[in-house]
Amino acid sequence: MINLYKSYPALPGVMLGIVLAGCAGTSNNYRSPVIEQGTAAPAGSVPPPAKPQQPATSGGVPPPRSQSTTAQPAAVVALLDRAEQQANSGDLDAAAVTLERAIRIDPRNPVLWHHLATLRLAEGEAVEAEQLAAKSNSLAAGNYSLQARNWELIADARRHRGDVAGSRSAEQRARALGSR
Amino acid sequence: MAKRRKRRRSKSRKKTVRRRSILTRILLILAIALAGYLVYLDYQVRHQFDGKRWSLPARVYARPLELYAGLPLTPEQLSVELSALHYRSVPSPRQAGDVSRNRNRFHVISRSFVHWDGREDSHNVQLTIVEGSIQRLVDGRTGQAISLVRLDPVIVGSFYPAHNEDRVLVKLEDVPLELTSALIAVEDRGFYRHHGIAPLSILRALLANIRAGDVVQGGSTLTQQLVKNFYLTSARTLTRKLNEAIMALLLEWHYDKDEILEAYLNEVYLGQDGNRAVHGFGLASHFYFERPLNELSIEQFALLVGLVKGPSYYNPRRHPERARERRNLVLDVMADLGLIGVDEAARLKSRKLGVSRYHRKATNTFPAFLDLVRRQLRRDYREEDITTEGLRIFTTLDPQAQWQLEQVLGSRLTRLEQGRGLPADSLQGAAVVTSIQGGEVLALAGDRKPKFAGFNRALDAHRQVGSVIKPAVYLTALEQPADYTLATLLDDTQLTWEAPNGDAWSPSNYDRQFHGTVPLYRSLAHSYNIATARLGLDLGLSTIVSTLKRLGVDAELRPYPSLVLGAAELSPLQVTQMYQTLASGGFRTPIRAIRAVLTADETPLQSYPLRVTAAVAPAPAYLVTTALRYAVREGTGRSLYRVLPERMDIAGKTGTTDDLRDSWFAGYTGDRLAVVWVGRDDNQSTGLTGSTGALLVWRDLFGRFGEQGVLQSALEGIEYQRIDTTTGLLGDNGCEDSVELPFIQGSAPLEAAPCMRGGSALQRPVDWFKELFE
Repeated sequence: MINLYKSYPALPGVMLGIVLAGCAGTSNNYRSPVIEQGTAAPAGSVPPPAKPQQPATSGGVPPPRSQSTTAQPAAVVALLDRAEQQANSGDLDAAAVTLERAIRIDPRNPVLWHHLATLRLAEGEAVEAEQLAAKSNSLAAGNYSLQARNWELIADARRHRGDVAGSRSAEQRARALGSR
Repeated sequence: MAKRRKRRRSKSRKKTVRRRSILTRILLILAIALAGYLVYLDYQVRHQFDGKRWSLPARVYARPLELYAGLPLTPEQLSVELSALHYRSVPSPRQAGDVSRNRNRFHVISRSFVHWDGREDSHNVQLTIVEGSIQRLVDGRTGQAISLVRLDPVIVGSFYPAHNEDRVLVKLEDVPLELTSALIAVEDRGFYRHHGIAPLSILRALLANIRAGDVVQGGSTLTQQLVKNFYLTSARTLTRKLNEAIMALLLEWHYDKDEILEAYLNEVYLGQDGNRAVHGFGLASHFYFERPLNELSIEQFALLVGLVKGPSYYNPRRHPERARERRNLVLDVMADLGLIGVDEAARLKSRKLGVSRYHRKATNTFPAFLDLVRRQLRRDYREEDITTEGLRIFTTLDPQAQWQLEQVLGSRLTRLEQGRGLPADSLQGAAVVTSIQGGEVLALAGDRKPKFAGFNRALDAHRQVGSVIKPAVYLTALEQPADYTLATLLDDTQLTWEAPNGDAWSPSNYDRQFHGTVPLYRSLAHSYNIATARLGLDLGLSTIVSTLKRLGVDAELRPYPSLVLGAAELSPLQVTQMYQTLASGGFRTPIRAIRAVLTADETPLQSYPLRVTAAVAPAPAYLVTTALRYAVREGTGRSLYRVLPERMDIAGKTGTTDDLRDSWFAGYTGDRLAVVWVGRDDNQSTGLTGSTGALLVWRDLFGRFGEQGVLQSALEGIEYQRIDTTTGLLGDNGCEDSVELPFIQGSAPLEAAPCMRGGSALQRPVDWFKELFE
């Protein structure tokens, strides 16, 4: 009649807890996603400010702004802490739901997407994990350590699916980023 | 003789024996029949009591509002949300559901609530709103900072079974003692002592009634009343009375008093709301006072208890005087029994009834959105389960966004009709608003009259989309960075395409002009048809169809050349899915209206987790978004900025179909995507283009939404170059018309335009810069 809540063969929560803690899960080492502008615009061609009074001229659309870092999302930190606790106690589903809640508050925070990817991989959802890690990367411009972790995760996910060659190339990308 | 006598005697003895045995048999049969009947009644009693006792409608909730420092929110929005939740405005909050407001400062005691991911406790919280966002959030008692408070969600509707029964189930342990003791005092004082029926209490009731000169006590026990409501028809016959008594005894034999009391509290009939019967104290509390049972005061409990005797006769809205007398009588009984003090009773008796104004509880506050929820539920549940299992459905609806959409759609269409001399109510409209990254439906309109539960245009009106489809063509091109960039010059001159059957197709621009060679981004921004058609034909129609499928367009698309100019019939929801993928950087997220479903006893049943699929690489999606930003800065969407602030970053596309039948606008900011359609149900001309119709609705809407997040932040693999738009080559301020455009790394032109200062000898600045360090 009604299909019951899907139960996943969960990996040991402790393992995940370590992963989460290592990835800035607590308020102490939580880092907001700092977007370094270096890669966006080549040196020597800093985009001019938009011309506010003349939008119809070819002054162009304003170039990308870096994300505001003034509003420190204490709410997000609290939810990350909770997600970590839930993951540590083995409740991966609950941890994922908490992370989704955090993503609703701070949808462009690549750290949150990375954690969600980690959880999905721990739940054995390798395909989903890889997509989420890619999503995290698309929001993590300039944050090379996070990008490297995402590629490591993608390598794990591909290995999990039996894609050895894909896994190896992901590992290489992780290493290349790690050395930057 | 003796023999005869003997024989006679034995004959008569035989007769007696036979007579006795007949009697025994009859008695036996009767006993068996009675036993069988008892077994039958017993089965009935237990079957219904153990099984599913009630058909419970599914309850549909909006998203709960999360309060945290930094949340964009105006004091008015918070006030509106709290009043939709029926929080009480008080000078000084004391209990859950109380709020006080001093201009931009709020003190709220939130309600405890079981959400899909667990219980959120009540919080005593003070907050200050400064310049449109929450500045501080502190505990109202300790003054310590609080990071996050989640309010209870607004109920947006219910899915009722055919017979329109409704309940808000309560658990006995959650029911305040004042209510149960008042109920027992008035309805069945011997409840905890009798075995289901109480002959003496009938007598006692009679005496009490004589003493009071009014009927203050009924003769039947709570158990009998429950049996009557639960199992029997309302026919007043002797057999029914007998059945009632037997079943009451059986019920008491099988179940303990608390179970029976709890069932009674949820079953008793307490009023009528249109064709919806109000059963149980839980629903009655919402029906009469608009708040949960545990937030009522003693005289309000007394009023509800008084209603048991005759909900229609004592209806506090229709007969407030009768209801007051009845309530005060209950308070007197409570004082008599020492449940409350005599002074307190006197004080409570002087209070107002406190009943809320009756407004018909429309089962369809947001019919178009509920329609979407129901369709998404039907994929996973049977219709019967949706209406009877008491499912708790947590949706994505943002009531604030929904109200704003409802306000702007109808009023804008009316203004359009008045301004253009169109007949009143000739225009129709539909709109979908989603969150960019989560793909959650925040608001939905399927008709210009938001309460109208008819044709749901947002889902079911499949209309020609016109230029709204074009981003898919340009995306297909930009996915081939070796051949196409935003600076690539396209040919917008006369085109005649000959079909294999000899038919000729010759598209024209909206302004009937040819624009020569135009940079690709500008061709999309200005929605040039001929350049787009040529581009589409060069790319191949099947490639474009497959791009549309990847973007999530779930519809039959015929690969005719006119497809690239929008000869496809899509619903606003389908267009939303397409733009969702573009707006979220190429990651397709199925558009969701539901977050999770719980059973009536709060067990998680199903969740609809956030899923993303990398449908398009982030870089080409980024380039399309840039071109769509140009569309609103300098192209077909530029009238947006006549009203909206410059700092609001928007990417958007207009769409207009032949003879101005359909007016579309699809646009997104950093936070939200909205697709608006305006047209006529009879598919006649509206006289509106995308920018003179749908765009204005969109503009009104985002004017209400206010500040929006960053639309484009930096993306790995994207570099910016200044381009001379005349040649499509590298340019600088020395060129008459140059723009800074993003390129997929390595795809920017290497050659400098002649207008560039220092001439064409200059290398790419980035290479020149690099060489300095090499």
